[in-house]
Amino acid sequence: MPKLTKEHQEEVKVEDLLRLKRMERPDDAFWGKFDRELHQRMLQTLVKKDPLYVQVFRALSGRFAQSSAVACAALFIAMMVVRPAFVGTGVTDFNVAETETTVSAPVLAVEMAMSDLDEAALNGQRDYQIDRISTETDTADAAFTRDFGMDGFELALGSADYSADVAASRPAFGSTSVASLVY
Amino acid sequence: MDATSSTTKSIFPAQEAQVSQRDLDWAVVQKVQSGNVGAFDQLVQKYREQIFSVVYNMTSNREDASDLTQDAFIKAFQAIGRFQGKSSFFTWLYRIAINSTMTFLKKRNRRRFISYENINEEVSSSEIFERLTAKNQSEKGALISELQEKLNDALQKLSLKHRTVVILHEIEGLEHAEIAEITKTSVGTVRSRLHYAKHQLQAYLKDYIG
Repeated sequence: MPKLTKEHQEEVKVEDLLRLKRMERPDDAFWGKFDRELHQRMLQTLVKKDPLYVQVFRALSGRFAQSSAVACAALFIAMMVVRPAFVGTGVTDFNVAETETTVSAPVLAVEMAMSDLDEAALNGQRDYQIDRISTETDTADAAFTRDFGMDGFELALGSADYSADVAASRPAFGSTSVASLVY
Repeated sequence: MDATSSTTKSIFPAQEAQVSQRDLDWAVVQKVQSGNVGAFDQLVQKYREQIFSVVYNMTSNREDASDLTQDAFIKAFQAIGRFQGKSSFFTWLYRIAINSTMTFLKKRNRRRFISYENINEEVSSSEIFERLTAKNQSEKGALISELQEKLNDALQKLSLKHRTVVILHEIEGLEHAEIAEITKTSVGTVRSRLHYAKHQLQAYLKDYIG
């Protein structure tokens, strides 16, 4: 390698050396060949048809991809909005449904049973008071909505049965305080 | 831009010229988009040497550079219908060429076939070269070959990202902002890469720069 003197080495910078690379240029013959080859390839590109799947993909990739992305985003947002509502009301819905199925029939049955109880039937042994249970009066007087049900109801018909007096209800029913027997 | 405005003195003449070039290119692009396929040749003639130069300096192989430059123009031709003019055609074309070259070089991996372009005669008469060979005129030819080899070797030692930035700035003469747009990075990143790349090159070429 031809060594340069220190004086001249100091004058040359990296930028100067890199600028020399601008002069590495092809000659005219190269560009002639380049143009011919490029024109041929461009003609082939114009004539050549893409495979069917490429055409389909190209046709769909523009708007279809955009609309698909929007649809997926909308679906995702919808899932995020609706799902917490399901999770939050899951237990409540179950209780309401269970309650609703038990409300109508038992309460009406109790009312009918109460109306049939008269003093003659009890042979004058009644030493307790019967509170009539009526869905109409209860719901009219009380400031609440009837949203409960009764699983069972037993009446004491004699003093021996006092201990068996039970107004059986589910725990959820207890808070409503509609049915009670006062002795 | 009309003749009157082009002769008007401006604070930013380079930027004005750039805008003008962009408008001219956009007009040609619109011709091609409207079906005048032959108009694309104007763009090829205008940018082929710049694109080739970038690709050649990235690959250090004239045959690969030729193929990749053609690929870049064909890709641009195929996609020109989707070009909306948001960036300049020149930036867009550079980006296509650089991305294709990077993909090619990553695939090529360690296999390196060097085939240099002939250095133009004007190198030997350049001021820089005169300084390099001031003391030894008889070894001029040997020094040209050796310098060419060393420079290409040094560039190939840089990572692709650093090589791209240093080529675009130091050899192609692009501004930092233009390089940032082409490489889709910030101007700060471009400056940082450039600084690092030059520092590396100084180490590789210390025999020439002392």
